[in-house]
Amino acid sequence: MSTAILARSLTKQYGQLTALSDFDLEVEQGSIFGLLGPNGAGKTTLIRILTTLMAQTSGEAFVEGHDTRTQGREIRRLIGVVPQENSLDRYLTARENLELHARLHGMEARHYRSRIDELLELMGLAGRQRDFPDTFSGGMQRRLVVTRALLHDPRVLFLDEPTTGLDPQSRRAVWDYVRSIAGNMTIFLTTHYLEEAEQLCDRIAIMDHGRLIALGSTQELKDRLTGGTAYQIEFEAGAERYAELLKGMTCVREIEVEGQTVCVALAQWECLSEVLAALNGAPVRRISLRERTLEDVFISLTGTGVSE
Amino acid sequence: MTLRGSLAIWRRDMLVLRRNILSELVAVIAYPLTIYLAFGIGMKGYIGLVEGVPYSMFIAPGLITMTAVNAAYSESVWSLWFHRRVQFTIDSYRVTPISVSEIVVGKILSGFSHGLVKGLAVGLVIFAITPFRFPPGHLLAYLAFLVPGSAFFSCAGVICGTIMDKPETIGKVEAVFIMPLIFMSGLFFPLSSYPAPLIPWVRALPTTALFEGARQSLVSGGFAFGYGLQVAATALLTFIAAVWMFRRKMAE
Repeated sequence: MSTAILARSLTKQYGQLTALSDFDLEVEQGSIFGLLGPNGAGKTTLIRILTTLMAQTSGEAFVEGHDTRTQGREIRRLIGVVPQENSLDRYLTARENLELHARLHGMEARHYRSRIDELLELMGLAGRQRDFPDTFSGGMQRRLVVTRALLHDPRVLFLDEPTTGLDPQSRRAVWDYVRSIAGNMTIFLTTHYLEEAEQLCDRIAIMDHGRLIALGSTQELKDRLTGGTAYQIEFEAGAERYAELLKGMTCVREIEVEGQTVCVALAQWECLSEVLAALNGAPVRRISLRERTLEDVFISLTGTGVSE
Repeated sequence: MTLRGSLAIWRRDMLVLRRNILSELVAVIAYPLTIYLAFGIGMKGYIGLVEGVPYSMFIAPGLITMTAVNAAYSESVWSLWFHRRVQFTIDSYRVTPISVSEIVVGKILSGFSHGLVKGLAVGLVIFAITPFRFPPGHLLAYLAFLVPGSAFFSCAGVICGTIMDKPETIGKVEAVFIMPLIFMSGLFFPLSSYPAPLIPWVRALPTTALFEGARQSLVSGGFAFGYGLQVAATALLTFIAAVWMFRRKMAE
């Protein structure tokens, strides 16, 4: 696989504030890559550098092999950007917004007219193309911004928090669109919705305070946190006593007690039979598998919830 | 640098102007026309001749020029501020393969075009409903002032729209700098009305060169070369400053 995005020791400082610190990243071509982090983690700064809107203080970044410092125009020819703010022109109709964008990309009218028709149809906006964007719902505006970003057939699509502020239904619709357009295109998205990252992304990077703190697939990140699986065991009585008993076992990584429920994190799921054997005769009411979520991973790495 | 991006942005701005042309023109024409009727006609009997011409004729070229440069300034300053701070469309232009210079040149062209269209519209209205007349041959020399004058104010608007982040600051600058510069440059009275020590300073203002030169061109048909050069040089300098400041701001 070739590399679509490469960042090496990328650093961005605003006066005394370091927004990005020694950031390394590699995104494969054709993948959906998610960048997670709390507000102020540096996600938007990274996207602004990669989309050539901002220059880094030091380090280097390449998009499709082009240097962000010296080959901005070449990069902008290859990328589509869906920014956090819709940035639609409210004095132009939906179609005129797209036509302006096509002209800025140097597309010829005979090419962009058919492309606009095709995309408006695909995005379900064909019937509203003569209307002004401020008469659209939030979800429709977002779809129009995505349409605008796809117009020139980009090789890399940057989505900066594409579903922030949308209702769950619109959010799911955007996810469906993102999935439907993924293919040869590389998609780089930032989000603070963990479910979004989990649903869409092949690989996820977690950043905090301008630093990369974890990178991998959702499963790899979860495995890294727990080293295996976790179970919740509910006792009739004596949970504390049984928790003490389990704590001494080598295959048990972590124990938490909540009332009469003990949460046991195991090194591997195969250890479950050892645990059950140890609990032989104990008044167990229920055993259930507790899936670790990306939020658990996030909290364990950053010490905060994602929206904090 | 190519002009493809500038032309696309200018075309967008002209489409929006065309769409709202009627309401824009009504708003733009009302103010200078009121001044013309109030001062030019209302005060005519009291003022008589100024520098050998009737007062209504004395102020008419200035009013047309004032409308043009005001429109150029307002369009540039508000458009740039709005697209940069409210609508974020400048950012959406910046992620396309055009340069920052193309964006700012497009915006300067739009402000300049607004100025010309609105100035000429006011000129036509004054010509149609008042006795103000001039030989058509004088128009060419007048345009030699109006074109760089509108460009100068459009660039000034771009500079203000680039550096000012708050809309109230834009209004203050207009009240404290732009309007006094226009009104004190001999638009309503001859420069000889100023105390003698002040006259060289007022003459040094580019707005004085613009309004005096424009009036001389339209009324007498003469072309004040020194004034023309001063307006053109100021337009060029503000253009360079506008492009430089906008590029600098975008690089922040």
